Amino acid sequence: MLYINDLTKNYGSFTAVNHLSLHIPEGDLFGFVGPNGAGKTTTIRIVCGLLKASGGSVRIGNSSAPVGSKEMKRMIGYVPDFFGVYDNLKVKEYMDMYGSMYGMDSGDIAKLTDDLLELVNLTDKKEFYVDTLSRGMKQRLCVARALLHNPKLLILDEPSSGLDPRARVEMKELLKNLHSMGKTIIISSHILSELSEMCNSIGIMNRGQLITAGKIEDVMQHFGGGQKLHIRVISEMEPAVRLLQEQAGVTVQSVRENEILVGYQGTEEQIGRLLQYMVQNQVTMTDFYREAGTLESLFMQLTGGGAQ
Amino acid sequence: MKIKLNPIIKKDLQVSARSMRISWGLFGYEMLLAVAFLIALSIIQAESRSYYSNNIYSYLVYLFPVVAIAQIGIVMLIVPILTAGSISGEKERQTFDIMLTTCMSPFSIVLGKVTSAVIRILFFVVASTPIMALAFVVGGLSWFDLFTFILTIIMLAFFTGSIGIFCSSVCRKAIAAVILSFVFYAVIFGGTFIPSLIHALFAYSSYGNDYMGESMVFWLFNPIIFYEEYFTQIMTGESLLNGANFDLDEVGPLTYLLSQGKVWMFVSAICIILLSLVFMAAAAWKVNPLHSSGGRKPGKKKAGQE
Ligand SMILES: Nc1ncnc2c1ncn2[C@@H]1O[C@H](COP(=O)(O)OP(=O)(O)OP(=O)(O)O)[C@@H](O)[C@H]1O
Ligand SMILES: [Mg+2]
Repeated sequence: MLYINDLTKNYGSFTAVNHLSLHIPEGDLFGFVGPNGAGKTTTIRIVCGLLKASGGSVRIGNSSAPVGSKEMKRMIGYVPDFFGVYDNLKVKEYMDMYGSMYGMDSGDIAKLTDDLLELVNLTDKKEFYVDTLSRGMKQRLCVARALLHNPKLLILDEPSSGLDPRARVEMKELLKNLHSMGKTIIISSHILSELSEMCNSIGIMNRGQLITAGKIEDVMQHFGGGQKLHIRVISEMEPAVRLLQEQAGVTVQSVRENEILVGYQGTEEQIGRLLQYMVQNQVTMTDFYREAGTLESLFMQLTGGGAQ
Repeated sequence: MKIKLNPIIKKDLQVSARSMRISWGLFGYEMLLAVAFLIALSIIQAESRSYYSNNIYSYLVYLFPVVAIAQIGIVMLIVPILTAGSISGEKERQTFDIMLTTCMSPFSIVLGKVTSAVIRILFFVVASTPIMALAFVVGGLSWFDLFTFILTIIMLAFFTGSIGIFCSSVCRKAIAAVILSFVFYAVIFGGTFIPSLIHALFAYSSYGNDYMGESMVFWLFNPIIFYEEYFTQIMTGESLLNGANFDLDEVGPLTYLLSQGKVWMFVSAICIILLSLVFMAAAAWKVNPLHSSGGRKPGKKKAGQE
């Protein structure tokens, strides 16, 4: 769907995006993660034609339309990381304005506006002035606006920044909903727990470079090192710790009365084999569990030391 | 093909119609006009009493230049203020980027902004037509002249609006854009004389009579000269440049042609419109993120090196 190839953006001597290549398949809900200043916004703005790349190319599907062309703009709905409002403009007029900027017919826009406002749960605000809406409502209105021209690809830059937890949940539900309707969606965010719940694929970016990208399970598994194993032992502790230390990829982090905390780099299967091995070697365990590998820990691990 | 109203015009008019500013502005303008009208009327009355005791009506024709010049002044002052903030204002509200991601081309954004300013200023122009009409009907000018005057005001509004929008695309702050617009006025109003001055100096030192020559072509771009010529023609029926009585062989065909008043006005109007288009095209180029190095985010870190 979206092919980004060798994309580079320099600000003077500073490289904000460094040879980024990425493919986002159709129908994905893609989470674009990275610490502040990683270059997410820069990448998104280039894709939307708001910034000129220093090098590289962006393509949607099989179309050869260049970035910033009308054809490309028709395929993208963009929700920026800010929300600009006009005073004295009503919600329906706001929608009408942007619709007509895509050359749509007023009648069609009015019909679509009703549907979209229903989708984002703002039907009762249709006659309200935009600047009187709450932040969460504005954010949802912005999503509705971005969907007006029925784009193939919806790009949201930090859609939950500044929202309260409830508004966040609503936004998440809305995005999940859109995903299930078959839209391809890209979300940039640093709220990782949120992304891990709704995205089916992610890309992690740091200092202008893409560190990894792919299906969320694959990424988590591949970089499983973030996971922690809690092992409760009722037999002798000493040999158990020794056994663990002998294993490749295992770092014993702490040993308490009868619980060992272990950092482990390995796949699901390897963890299984580790358990098997321990049992075979007469270690009696009452508990062996994985702290759910959070995206947070993965994120910290992958971007560690680079975020200053 | 169905012609659609530029969405920016629609939005700008909707928004400004709801703000109190335009109502107060119109109110103030009407007040000013009324006061000016009454003063002018009493002066005319006093004058006519001392000379021709019963012929006050023929003096009413002088209301026309008074009101007209007031309007020209207002257009030149207000339109840059309306447009100067239009792009920087959208950028401040952070709505400009969203606009750029739609199918609106930068030129149609710029054109929409200028046109909405022109329409808003036309509210003021139309409000003053009854007074001008008095000068026309009672004072003996033709309806056609009133019509052409309104056309020239629209042209002037486009011209000043294009300068304003260009400045808006260059300056971050609206106030800086307004000041820059006035600098452009000075350059255009004064600068177009420079070739003629140089030519005059040069002509004096070498050979005598063609003191203007082709350097006069630059005057075509000067709205002040355009209006001088316009008023001279309307009020006296003569042309500013007719007095020069050019000899075709001496000044060349171009200057000769231009010294024919009506031709001059027509060509000058075209030149002024062309210049407006150049300013708008430059503004469109400037705001297009794919051309300029810009695309900065408002309120974020300033571009360091570029
Ligand atoms: N106009 C500019 N001039 C110079 N440097 C810039 C400009 N815009 C962005 N940068 C730099 O580019 C880098 C990437 O910025 P970007 O906004 O893409 O980060 P981000 O990943 O979106 O961060 P955040 O999570 O804070 O939104 C930053 O170091 C920033 O300082
Ligand atoms: Mg950002």
